Amino acid sequence: MSGYTLADLQDVDERCREIAGDELGFEVPEVIYHLVAPEEVYFAAANGLPARYSSARWGAQFDDAYGRYQRGQERIYELIFNTRPVHAYLMEGNSLVAQTLVIAHCLGHGYVFENNEWLGAVDREIMSRVISAAERIADYMGAHGRDQVEDFLDACHAIAIHQPQAQLIRKAVAPDPEHRTRPFDVLFPDEVTAERERVAQERIALRSRFPREPEDDLLSFIEANARGLEDWQRDVISIVHTEQSYFLPQMRTKILNEGAAVLMHQEVCQRLFMPTDRYLEYEQLNSVVMAPHPARVNPYNIGINILREIMRIASEPDEEERELWSWAGEVQPFDQVRTVLAAYDDEGLLREFLTPKVCELSHLYAFQHLEQDPRRIRVSSREADAIREVLIAQHSTLGIPHVQIVDADFRGRGELLIEHIHDGMGLDEEYARGTLGQIARLWGKPCTVKTIKGRETDQDAWFTGHPDGRSERHVTTPR
Amino acid sequence: MTVVGDSGLPRDAGRRDALHHRERLRKKITEQLKQGIGEEDIIASGPEKKVRVPVKGTKRWQFIFDRGRQQGVGQGDAEPGDVLGPGGKAPGRGEAGLEPGEELYEVWLDMADVEEMLFSELELPRLKPKSESEIESSRTVYDEIARKGPKLDKKATLRENLLRNAKRGHISLGGIEKSDLRYLTYRDVPKPRSRAVIFLAMDVSGSMDSNRKRMARLFFYWCVQFLRSRYDQTEIVFVSHTTEAREVTEEEFFNRVESGGTKVSSAFEVIGEIQSHRYPAADWNVYVLHVSDGDNFSADNQRTLELIQSLARVCSLVGYLEVDPGGLTRAHKLSLFYEEEGGRIEGFVHSRASEDRELWPALKLFFAKDDVEAAVR
Repeated sequence: MSGYTLADLQDVDERCREIAGDELGFEVPEVIYHLVAPEEVYFAAANGLPARYSSARWGAQFDDAYGRYQRGQERIYELIFNTRPVHAYLMEGNSLVAQTLVIAHCLGHGYVFENNEWLGAVDREIMSRVISAAERIADYMGAHGRDQVEDFLDACHAIAIHQPQAQLIRKAVAPDPEHRTRPFDVLFPDEVTAERERVAQERIALRSRFPREPEDDLLSFIEANARGLEDWQRDVISIVHTEQSYFLPQMRTKILNEGAAVLMHQEVCQRLFMPTDRYLEYEQLNSVVMAPHPARVNPYNIGINILREIMRIASEPDEEERELWSWAGEVQPFDQVRTVLAAYDDEGLLREFLTPKVCELSHLYAFQHLEQDPRRIRVSSREADAIREVLIAQHSTLGIPHVQIVDADFRGRGELLIEHIHDGMGLDEEYARGTLGQIARLWGKPCTVKTIKGRETDQDAWFTGHPDGRSERHVTTPR
Repeated sequence: MTVVGDSGLPRDAGRRDALHHRERLRKKITEQLKQGIGEEDIIASGPEKKVRVPVKGTKRWQFIFDRGRQQGVGQGDAEPGDVLGPGGKAPGRGEAGLEPGEELYEVWLDMADVEEMLFSELELPRLKPKSESEIESSRTVYDEIARKGPKLDKKATLRENLLRNAKRGHISLGGIEKSDLRYLTYRDVPKPRSRAVIFLAMDVSGSMDSNRKRMARLFFYWCVQFLRSRYDQTEIVFVSHTTEAREVTEEEFFNRVESGGTKVSSAFEVIGEIQSHRYPAADWNVYVLHVSDGDNFSADNQRTLELIQSLARVCSLVGYLEVDPGGLTRAHKLSLFYEEEGGRIEGFVHSRASEDRELWPALKLFFAKDDVEAAVR
């Protein structure tokens, strides 16, 4: 160990808590810290949850990230899980200053876990289920062969993210067709009869449609309705679904959560280290955490800049800000931060507080991928409105295309039809076809998606995947 | 508020899952190699005998938006109109851009590994012990663990050390003592006395154009590699033929260019002669593989079949592969004749390949493992 003991870390935790609670007013629930080897930190990070079922998928992520760590290309400082109690991992070999930063940082996360409304959807008692799921999947691997279970898991993982909570915007459900009587109906008896007939037909067509309403939850629908699945397969589907649902609300609050954590470590460490020589070491680490990412947004960076702006508006608003926010200049900065941390998700946070000032502080720009070489980007704007539009669109959908099962008896052959509720942009063909192959594997029959071609909203595109992995493209509605 | 020095997780879980991942990757590579068995770069693998295999089929599938049409937000001081390279860096840096959800693998494999992966599925069929073999051999296997021996077994040693420490109450590695050391020791496993000779016969006549010759050579290349790596005591006899056949050296076999007509029977005559003189069936397992485009002089077909019939009586296998890329008709082909007239000659197997990817199934057909399941697969 690097010149400190577990007891030293315990002292650090207590001092950080005193500052957070007594001086800043943040009551933080218990956090259990595990001081472990880098390898274990990376493995827990690859899993997403500790003690999760064994899978080559985690192995691949671990191989990749731990390899980068060993080559000195990246370093995880901290890893925290939103369970009750909260568990956090500290990496052996980090200096005491680094561990102090991480512990203070975790207190910010702990506060958000406990108080944010959006995170109320997280099952914080999930660990007992995770452990039992790991045992069951190990059993299935023993009984049916590891490869078969891994292949099935791959298929589940491909679509696990498509759950109702991933998409907050719903399409209104079409009402049942109804025949309305009109004043002059009596004059046109034939037309009225024909109309009644048509409405009745439509109602029958609608009633026999399955699912009755478009289904956002792909895995649950397949688990309940696919024919020919064995019991273990239905169980695996539901395990993957449950564990994925733990992650979704946290994806929705990433910027908010990291902003809170950075705010906490900055406030606590400034009080602890200023004006000692350890402050320099702390400040170096802090700047690494805050470093901007070139082609994406560092959530730590934008999160803290937004929260700091909120604090400034609370204490020193200009005239315009006074008009915009009733609390501007009327409230204690940390109180306003707590209000925001309790009530907002990233989309709301960006919608309200991604001001031109924040865009400037975080050096944000909007860009477009080059069509001829998607790996390269062209900067399109530095205007706050343009940036906000793109960033909000990303965060309202979590970057996940919205797809729904609209017909489970497509072409009258029990095939699945999935519709992409596009927002002006179609699905990537290669990935759509690969994914449909995975869905077809679960469903046992071909699956088709309806989307659009690129950005051309008037050009439908259809892709079909088959259980054996083949796939094709159609230019018109497949018959 | 608690700080503990333990993750609550099995320590080797990451490595364990990583191993599973690599094992799956290996299987995918093997599948891909079978598809690409005809690719020249596998054969022209250079002096170090390493091949570069890009692994497809390892993408993590998910619905994503059309790549190349997406917008995004980045951080930095770039101005509108600036074009940035992969990862937002200025273009020109040679960094591989990963597509979303993609795991990119290009694996450099030892030729020995490639062969191990592929050839574990093949076997010389119906290999019988032959009595009068002068080569009584045994091979040395290191698989027993002892306190003394020629080769240190690190894993067993660590296990002993752990066990000893655990008995003293602390479950950890360390303080390895002499009594912990474990060695691998060897034992001799006698090899069955089964000798084999395989005759490889190639049509090098004028109708074998460059593509057909290439496929035939590829097929034989893999045959030879397989036999050499798995059956080091197998003798290989190379025969090439046009209207006449003769025994040639390996180098001649793979490089000879000829022209002229085709009389397949000539090859089987030569093979029959060599076999009866040098490799009596009582002492040898005999295999014959013939590759041609099937354009035989039709008056010769009947004679060819008779020779095959008599060879099949002494052979464990007579195989025929017709290479016919882009062939339109089989009207005058040898394969059609064999199909119609060959009836069921015990031990005679024929197959066709019209593209490289069909070479592996052919290899698998000829060198089918004797168990039924593998043979029908």
